[in-house]
Amino acid sequence: MRELFSAQKWKYAFYTVSHPMDAYYEIRHRERGSVPIAVLLVVLFSFSFSINRKSASFVVNNVYPLSVNALTELAAVLLLYLLFCVGNWSITCLMEGEGRLKDIAIATGYAMIPIIVCFNLATIVSQFVAADEEAFYWVIMAAGIAYALLMVLMGIMQVHNYTLAKTLVTIFLTFIAMFIIIFIVMLFVDLITQVYSFFYSIYQELIYRM
Amino acid sequence: MKKRISIKKLTASLFAGTILAVTCAAPPVHAEELPYDTYNYTYWEDIALTPAAYVPVGTVTGATVGTDGFSEPQDLCVAPDGLIYVADTKNNRIVVLNETMTETVRVIDSFDRDGEQDGFDAPYGVCVSENMQLYIADSNHKRVVVLTPEGEFVKIIDNPQSEILEEGFDFVPLKVTVDYADRVYVIAKNAFEGILVFESDGQFTGYFGTIDVKITLWEKFWKRLASKEERAKQQLYIPTEFTGIDIDDDGFVYASNIDSDGVQGVRRLNPRGEDVIQKGENENLGGDLVVGSYGTYAGPSEFTDVTYRGKGIYSLLDRKRGRIFTYDREGNLLYIFGGLGTQEGTFNTPIAIEAVNDQILVLDAYNNSIVRFGETEYGSLINDAVGLRYDGDETEAIAKWQQVLKLDENNELANTGIGKAYLTAGENRTAMKYLELGRNRKYYSVAWKRYRNELLIAHINVIMTVVIVLIAVCLLYTKVLKKKIGRGRRTKAKEGGLA
Repeated sequence: MRELFSAQKWKYAFYTVSHPMDAYYEIRHRERGSVPIAVLLVVLFSFSFSINRKSASFVVNNVYPLSVNALTELAAVLLLYLLFCVGNWSITCLMEGEGRLKDIAIATGYAMIPIIVCFNLATIVSQFVAADEEAFYWVIMAAGIAYALLMVLMGIMQVHNYTLAKTLVTIFLTFIAMFIIIFIVMLFVDLITQVYSFFYSIYQELIYRM
Repeated sequence: MKKRISIKKLTASLFAGTILAVTCAAPPVHAEELPYDTYNYTYWEDIALTPAAYVPVGTVTGATVGTDGFSEPQDLCVAPDGLIYVADTKNNRIVVLNETMTETVRVIDSFDRDGEQDGFDAPYGVCVSENMQLYIADSNHKRVVVLTPEGEFVKIIDNPQSEILEEGFDFVPLKVTVDYADRVYVIAKNAFEGILVFESDGQFTGYFGTIDVKITLWEKFWKRLASKEERAKQQLYIPTEFTGIDIDDDGFVYASNIDSDGVQGVRRLNPRGEDVIQKGENENLGGDLVVGSYGTYAGPSEFTDVTYRGKGIYSLLDRKRGRIFTYDREGNLLYIFGGLGTQEGTFNTPIAIEAVNDQILVLDAYNNSIVRFGETEYGSLINDAVGLRYDGDETEAIAKWQQVLKLDENNELANTGIGKAYLTAGENRTAMKYLELGRNRKYYSVAWKRYRNELLIAHINVIMTVVIVLIAVCLLYTKVLKKKIGRGRRTKAKEGGLA
C-alpha cells in the first residue's frame, strides 16, 4: 500500500505509457511496477467510464442517464479485471510464460492510463462539439482504446517473454479460460445453493417436529 | 421492451395534470375522472403522463339522433358542408347527421337508377368529395356508388378491367376516398398490391402505394435451403393491406396499415404512390413504443383508420388498445388519448375516426355509437402551436408553447418549439437551454455553433493574448528546461542509471 504514495512508482507508470516495451521488461525483472497502483488505475478507469457515460454532452451521448450506476460498473470492471488476470495467468502457466500473476495485473492495470486520459479528455471535448463535429470526440475515444489494447498486448508479450504470435494465441485462449472459469463458478454456486437448501430443509423438518 | 418510469417526470406531469384539471374551464371534465390514461413518450421512450388533450364530450347513437339504432357501422365521413355521413353497414343505409350531431338530416337506403329502384348491400365505406358528391363502397354489390348528397344517382364504378389484375379478381371495396380531381381511391378486400385508383370517368388506372414485403436474411437463407415442394408448402409473403384512408388538401393520400413490427403504421402517398411521410427523431410512426409481450393486450398498435386534420396534423386510431395517436407533419407524437372499456368515452371495437372542427369522432362498430371528444386547453394549445409552426410563424408559436409548458413542463415539443423560436430571434444561449431540454441535437448544434462564434468574436482579444503569452512562456520554459534536463541526464548517467 505504501507503494501508492511512492513518486518513483508513479513516474514509472507514466514511463510505461511512453516506453511500453522497455518498461514492461523492467517491471517483470526489476520490480519497477506496483500492484496497488495498477488496481487504482483500473478503479480510475471505471470511474472515467461512468463519468463519460453520464456527463458527455448530449450531442454525442445517447446513454439513458438513469441507467448509469458507477458502483455496479466498478464492480463489473474489477471482476472482469480479476477474471482476465487469473485467466491469463492460468493459460500462460501452461505455456511457458515467465510472468507472475502480479506482473499480469500490473501490465493490464498500467495499460488503463491512456483510456483514463482519453475518456476524460473526450468528455471535456464533447462539451464543445456540435452535431457534425462528433468525429473529434470519437477519434479521441478510439485512440485511447486502441493505445490501451496495444499496451495490454505489449505488456503480456514482454512479461511472459513471448513472440507476438504466441501472445495473440494466449490472449485468445485467455478468453476461453475466462468462459470456463465463469462456467465453473456458476456450477459451483448452483451446487452450493442445492447443498444449502438441503440443509435448510433438514433444519425446517427438525423445527417442525420439535 | 423498455419499461422505465421516471418518478420525477411522473410527478411533474401529474402536477401539471392537476393544474389543468383546475384551470381547464371548458369542457368541465376533470383529468382524474377520465376513463383512460393520457400520456406521451419521452426521448428515452419512457411513458410520461400528460394532461389530457381530448376528453369525451358525448356519445351519439341511433336513438339520440332520432332514427333506428345503427348496426355495425363501419365508416363515417365529414362532408365539406359539415354534415356527417355514417355508413350503417348491417342496416344497408347511409345516415346523414347534422353538424352538431343532434338529429338525422336524411337517411339514404335506396336510389333511383334509370327508373329502377336500387339499394345497398353492406356499405362499408363512405366519402363525400370536395365537389359534393357522395361515394359509397357498396361492398357486397362489388361496386362504388356515386350519388348526390341528396341521394340522386350519378354513376357507378365497378368491375375494374386491367391486365395487372389477377384472373377472377373479386372487387370488394371496403374504404373509399376522393381527391380534388375526382380520382377515386379504393381499398378493396384482398387487394394486396395496394390502393385501387379510378379516374373520374370510372376507368381503373392501377394500383397505388404498395407496401413492400419485408423478407429477412434469415428467411431468404431458409428459402434457399428448401426444396421446390417445401417452398410450395410454405406460406406466401403477402404485403399487409391498408386499413384506412384519408386525403389532405394537396391531394396526398394518408393510408393506415397494420404493421406487425410497430414501426410504421401510416403512409403519406404522393400522386405517384411513393411514401413521403416524415418520421420524427425516433423514426417511429407505429403508435405505442412500450408494449407488453404476453396476453391479448400485448403487441404493437394496430391502426384501423387515419384522419387528416389540417396543418400537417393527423390522427391514427389503434384498435388494439383503443388509443388515438396524433402526429404532426414532422412525425412528432403530439398526444395520446382514448382506451378500450365500457365506460362512456371508451370503445369496444373502434373502427373509424374523423375530425370535425375541434372535435374528434370515433365510430364504434360493436357499441353502434359515435364517441365525441372535445379538445382541452392543453390540446388546443398544442394544435395551435403546431399549426403556427406549419405556417412558418414560429415566433407567434412561442407564446402557445410557453403556455403548454405551464401545463406540462417536460413537454419536449414545447421546449424544442421555444428553443427554435429563440434561435430565429438570435438569442442563442436561451435557445440552447430549451433545445437541450427538448433533446433536439440538430438545432442545439446550430444554436451552439452560433453561440460559440459569438463568444469567440466577443473575447478574441483576451483569447489571442493568452495564447501568445502561453506560447512565449512555453518557448522560454523549454529552453531553460532543456538545459536542466540535459544536466540532469548527465548526472543520472554518472550515478549509474537505474536505482
